[in-house]
Amino acid sequence: MRMKTLLACTGLLLSQLASASEPLPQRWVSAGGAFTEWVVALGGESKLVGVDSTSQYPRSLQKLPGVGYQRALAAEGILTLKPDILLGSNEMGPPPVIEQLKAAGVRIEMLSATADMPTLQHNLNQLGQLLGKPAEAQHLMDSYSQRLKNQANLVSQAQQHNAAPRALLLLSHSGGNLQVAGKDTLAAWMIQQAGGNSLVEHLGYKPVSNEALLALDPQVIIFAGGRLQGDEARAALLTQNPVLGQTSAGRDGRIVVIDPTLLVGGLGPRVPDALADLTKAFYPDSQVLTAEAKQ
Amino acid sequence: MTAIVRPRPMLLTLALLLVLIVWLSLALGPVSLPLRETLLAGLRLLGLSIDGDNTQQAELILGQIRLPRTLLGIAVGAVLALSGVAMQGLFRNPLADPGLVGVSGGAALGAAIAIVGGSMLGGMAPAIEPYVLSACAFSGGLIVTAVVYRFGRSNGQTNVATMLLAGVALTAMAGAGVGLFTYLADDATLRTLTFWNLGSLNGASYQRLWPLLIVTVGVALWLPRRAAALNAMLLGESEARHLGFDIERIKLELVLCTALGVGAAVAAAGLIGFIGLVVPHLMRLLVGPDHRVLLPASLLAGAGLLLLADLIARLLLAPAELPIGIVTALIGAPFFLFLLVRGRS
Repeated sequence: MRMKTLLACTGLLLSQLASASEPLPQRWVSAGGAFTEWVVALGGESKLVGVDSTSQYPRSLQKLPGVGYQRALAAEGILTLKPDILLGSNEMGPPPVIEQLKAAGVRIEMLSATADMPTLQHNLNQLGQLLGKPAEAQHLMDSYSQRLKNQANLVSQAQQHNAAPRALLLLSHSGGNLQVAGKDTLAAWMIQQAGGNSLVEHLGYKPVSNEALLALDPQVIIFAGGRLQGDEARAALLTQNPVLGQTSAGRDGRIVVIDPTLLVGGLGPRVPDALADLTKAFYPDSQVLTAEAKQ
Repeated sequence: MTAIVRPRPMLLTLALLLVLIVWLSLALGPVSLPLRETLLAGLRLLGLSIDGDNTQQAELILGQIRLPRTLLGIAVGAVLALSGVAMQGLFRNPLADPGLVGVSGGAALGAAIAIVGGSMLGGMAPAIEPYVLSACAFSGGLIVTAVVYRFGRSNGQTNVATMLLAGVALTAMAGAGVGLFTYLADDATLRTLTFWNLGSLNGASYQRLWPLLIVTVGVALWLPRRAAALNAMLLGESEARHLGFDIERIKLELVLCTALGVGAAVAAAGLIGFIGLVVPHLMRLLVGPDHRVLLPASLLAGAGLLLLADLIARLLLAPAELPIGIVTALIGAPFFLFLLVRGRS
């Protein structure tokens, strides 16, 4: 007990000392998909020595040692990577492992994965400091909020002429049952930001029956499924769930395929692109958007 | 069933094997420490002050990560195996497992309530989360077992067959409860729940270790005192009663030991299947059905097997690690089959 306190104190002292003289952490372990993407976007990919199982993008990360799932980390395993810093969301755990890593002198950086702009601003600031690139981080942040602002303008202009389409995000892994993204998910936030009308009232991702899907009758289906992309994924979705062909979206062929890794761990750098794609799919006839595309 | 080997040399062998495995569990891990450093760090942890090399890192890994983990493994393995013996003795059936009286199902339900309910109420402080989880799992196991035991009681007697069926029914009900919470769970809690159901010795710490150690020592001291009664029960309940044993009391003690032991083990390390069912069975094949030998043999083998499984779990995919429940089944089941086939021929 006393031993542990002593070690914890030493660890704390070490990290204090470290922040006082500010040598930047050089060996990073990142446990959180979106955070990892930001580190890469800030040019820190070469500093990453390990990532968790939610860090699937960019694909080049898969060469790095995996430290498992962010809530089931192993202290000793992570120590073999000799990290200076462990980056992750506040869901990272289990807590005793985090304590052990702290005691071993690893800096723990827990950031919030909440999907809103102030959180993103804070996270990017922090990452910019830690990577020694505060100006780049601010630049990324500014262009990110600018893009979201433009996006919001486009949507409001498009909505003057067209009604917001009823949209549903379906998630399915390896042919398993379809799950529908509910209100509190990043998926719902994206649908709303892209100008869609999210149809469901439940929370989280829940399986929904075929009949309920028919009754909801979405005009656009956004499909996040496994490894298949584009037309292949679309075809697979319709073959496995013929009932979707009876919905408006199925009849009109308005099925958008997105990468499921987008939906993990808060706002990542790829979100504006995805939003732009979604808006295009939501308002295919809008003059504003076609004009925008021509520019 | 006759014993394949004589009991005393067998117990000695098992004890030596356990010591070897404990040593391996302390000396091996994803971080490779030189033997010299491990030894030095070990001696320093024992309070000897030896000057010379800087072993701070080794001391930390040995003292704060591997030692609590090893102790947890010993306690969990031992108590699960002992509870298995108690249950197989109580039900007079080598296929009985500690889950039969509902303790695992109840603990799983308790854990699901803690994990999913906690996050639905807006999340608990991370510092108390593990304790709440342990407490809920432990009390869930105890409550369900108490209900099962109550169903088995009538006219001042405990009907073991009724208890078994009540155990099946309540486990199914607890399963339904877990299913409901699984449905209500969001993505993150769902994964936590899944991992918890596969068990892990990861994140062992001294604070969470001591309740389990106390229970384990208690069970390990208590059950062998009932070895003679368990032997008599092999003949049948009325025979044991005629031999002068207070059968009702023994049954209560066996159920209590199992509920406390498995409850505490599950609370500390999640659901780890297989050990409680197969270790007593294996040991019966090796040392025979005499509980005076079977109990200590199961204790040693349970601890050893679990530590071995944990060693594989943390080394195989390093720096990540595998849930231990997968490994216990993967190494234990083929060995069990091998013994069955050999016993038959």
